[in-house]
Amino acid sequence: MEKIEITLNINGKPHEVTIYPNDTLLDVLRDKLDLTGSKESCGEGVCGSCTVHMDGKPVRACLTLAMEAQDAEIKTVEGLANGDELSNLQQSFIDHGAVQCGFCTPGMLMSADALLRENPKPDEKTIRKALAGNICRCTGYAKIVQAVAHAAQPQDNCCDCKSKE
Amino acid sequence: MSDHTLIGTRMPRVDSRAKVMGKAKYTADLKLPGMLVGKIKRSPYAHARILNIDTSKAEALPGVKAVVTGKDTEGVKWGVFPYTRDQQFIQVEKARYIGDEVAGVAAMDEETALRALDLIEVEYEELPAIFDPMEAMASDTELIHEDFPNNINIHVNIDTGNVEENFEKAHYIREDTFMASEESYFHAEPYAVVARFDHEDCLEVWCPNAGPHMKSKPLSNSFKIPLHKVKIKKIAIGGAFGGRSEICPADYICALLAKKTGKPVKIVFTREENTIATRQGHAMITTHKTGVDREGRVLARESTCYMDGGAYSSTGPIATSVPFLSMEQAYRMESVRYNGYRIYTNKPIRGMIRVHGRGFACGVDTQLDMIADHLGIDPVEIRLKNSRQPGDYTSTKSYVSSCAMDETIHKAVEKSGFKEKWGKLPPFHGIGIGTNSVQTGFPMGIRGGSQSFIKFNEDGEATVMSGVVDNGQGNENMLVQIAAEELGLLPEDIHLVNADTETTSSDPGSYSQVSTFVGGHAVKIAAENCREKLFKVAAKVLKVDPQELAAKNRLIFVKDDPEKSIPIKKVVRISLLNFTSVNAEGGYWPKVDMKREWVKNPYGQMCEAFSFGTTIVEVKVDPVTGQVEVLEATAAQDVGYALNPLILEGQFEGSVAMGGQGGMLTEYHEWMDGRCINPTMLDYKVPLACDMPRINNIIVESIDPKGPYGAKEAGMSIAMSAAQGYSGAVSNAIGVFLDSFPLTPDKILAAIKEKQTRQLKQENADKTEGN
Ligand code: FES
Ligand code: FES
Repeated sequence: MEKIEITLNINGKPHEVTIYPNDTLLDVLRDKLDLTGSKESCGEGVCGSCTVHMDGKPVRACLTLAMEAQDAEIKTVEGLANGDELSNLQQSFIDHGAVQCGFCTPGMLMSADALLRENPKPDEKTIRKALAGNICRCTGYAKIVQAVAHAAQPQDNCCDCKSKE
Repeated sequence: MSDHTLIGTRMPRVDSRAKVMGKAKYTADLKLPGMLVGKIKRSPYAHARILNIDTSKAEALPGVKAVVTGKDTEGVKWGVFPYTRDQQFIQVEKARYIGDEVAGVAAMDEETALRALDLIEVEYEELPAIFDPMEAMASDTELIHEDFPNNINIHVNIDTGNVEENFEKAHYIREDTFMASEESYFHAEPYAVVARFDHEDCLEVWCPNAGPHMKSKPLSNSFKIPLHKVKIKKIAIGGAFGGRSEICPADYICALLAKKTGKPVKIVFTREENTIATRQGHAMITTHKTGVDREGRVLARESTCYMDGGAYSSTGPIATSVPFLSMEQAYRMESVRYNGYRIYTNKPIRGMIRVHGRGFACGVDTQLDMIADHLGIDPVEIRLKNSRQPGDYTSTKSYVSSCAMDETIHKAVEKSGFKEKWGKLPPFHGIGIGTNSVQTGFPMGIRGGSQSFIKFNEDGEATVMSGVVDNGQGNENMLVQIAAEELGLLPEDIHLVNADTETTSSDPGSYSQVSTFVGGHAVKIAAENCREKLFKVAAKVLKVDPQELAAKNRLIFVKDDPEKSIPIKKVVRISLLNFTSVNAEGGYWPKVDMKREWVKNPYGQMCEAFSFGTTIVEVKVDPVTGQVEVLEATAAQDVGYALNPLILEGQFEGSVAMGGQGGMLTEYHEWMDGRCINPTMLDYKVPLACDMPRINNIIVESIDPKGPYGAKEAGMSIAMSAAQGYSGAVSNAIGVFLDSFPLTPDKILAAIKEKQTRQLKQENADKTEGN
């Protein structure tokens, strides 16, 4: 197979990479660009740990060809924070104890971030549905759901909401 | 306890920041200069003699750097106990399950490595394979391991005496059999290992593990190099759940390839390999015979359990014992006899898992519910009549010092409204309760204790060294929280060096639920010792007695006159100027009965503390589809003392998901001729966010006299009791006591149908009689 050169726009920066046409976006991110925040847990589109954004929409990088992503704005977990400053969602995950082993966390954050951009005040059912494609084996999801719900709307009666408005 | 600054607070975890930023490095993320890709060739046969392996074509393939087979291993065998060493890291004579390791390859890239695997020619002679443990046990001739007659790998026999006499005295006796299939961990992170030999010929290894010291010793033995030359390195870990506790053949193969090539090698398992070739839970068939008095007190119990042990043993003796031990800790019994058999079959390797023995545990509780039903008492009453009490000895002679089992029952009952709901719910709507107990530690001989070292840096910050590993449960935070509390520092002042065998002392690992109790304890003692040194120096400056001092917020101050203080940083600098060291060590060794042995002598003090948990679950069953909707789970556990309620709640919730929701409703393996047909996430159903019910967490504290701040195991008692609570609730909803786990829709529908047919027959019989 012939290698080809493409440009990927990731986290606001262009990256030139030489790839095989059948390379997945996940492999290119992890192996060629050292963006190892996106994880591979199942490799077949089930677990959501490889979730990244393409033009603001969550996609599974393990099922996406790098070539398909050429014209899109790609965002990975590494692009969520503004330098050292975490996003509200990231901070909320920390404050609410939503991170245990952390392997599902990047994918969870990307799915949740996409949801909050579309619907800043989702109810619990909406959150659970939006995260139904992301598998977590550690947390039982309760604290993740809470972290997402409270990220945009800190609750006075929540002892873990640090940044109350 | 109220004068603590950090202990007992909902302190967010120190490791979370790197994880939410995608910066935390897991093994598969590592890239070392010159690193090769390793792959393992596995047996396609369940049982076959290996006649010949020809690697010449694979070796000739450009890009292939090394091929290893059983010939390169010098026949080393692995097993946790000397008497369970039955597994070669690469098989030489026979393959014993589909997936058994037969060769390894290191190549420039993955594609080449995979092509090389195909080019390795293995000549097999297929042997008759056995997949059913009962069949395996019945066979004298078809042996999976030559020296194990009837394929019995382990037989644990426990007998307190008087069992027959007490059955004689019993008012009511029942005997029931329960079955459960195998389940898998499905860790988020597939297994991976990176190995290299450094410039000093030290073996460096990165891999997910539940105890780095459990990895270094077997590697040192197999490579015949001193322990100090095996460096298991710290790395982020994507879950363990009872697995990853010991060496994996891939560790050895990876290291062997690294040795042969002189390059770093990385092996990353596929999801299927993670399911088949790490470990799985045991399938089991358990018969409980229980005799009670008129009130429902257990006078005698005889439990017999047959476990499908798969191809190899390793932790077999522990696996065969733990289901029984959890029961004998949770419940009082006048007398008991246990016969546990772990039987070899030609199926993948099995080990300890978070809900170890779900069939056994759910059997005990289902049968209690049956007995209660017969006696006309409710499930709560029968549990309270038999529940473990503080000051008791278990049947195998472990003293139980702290125990708030009853409080967990009462609180869960109250919160869930069990009493109001029991017997009053509409059809196909049910509620169930489970209670269980988990050990805080196993007897582990010289590896039973943990030691910690603390050094102060001249800027007043401290480095804490501990062998404790974090698989995701929050152990690192626990260590930092304890050290910062005791040293009077802020969490960000502590630099933790842990789970690295080069710098940290031996530690029991996290798989026996002992990290806080032993490892956390060691850090606490080291920090107290270090603080004592600082106080001596500070006392001179402040002109008071060291006993009058306390430390908080980077200051050492006089307790009765907090204005009188000195910064810790200054004390460190004064100490150094006065030639006084500001380092300290501390260690903790639980007082267990060193003579207790899993098979030969299963009596004596097992561990210093036990946790106790109750889970109550409410469900609705759809009688048309057999689907279960879980409405609410209420989980209460006696954790001794809650060091960090935020982390504890996460452990409870994760336990309800894996033990109850997944463990009882969807998670199990299916087989065809020894081949696991659902090894991937696509076909093995783990719980999703949309499946989970509301969970009520209730933390109960009994302040264990030996635990650090009174803390002991936290979370596992919920995983166990959740399984029991789920099964009780479904049984209650459909009005049939279920005996085969997990409770999948097909089984639920069959039970409903059978009940309806029975009722119809009865009605017809009544009618005929009436005529
Ligand atoms: S790795 Fe992409 S969905 Fe699982
Ligand atoms: S935190 Fe471990 S899988 Fe989600």
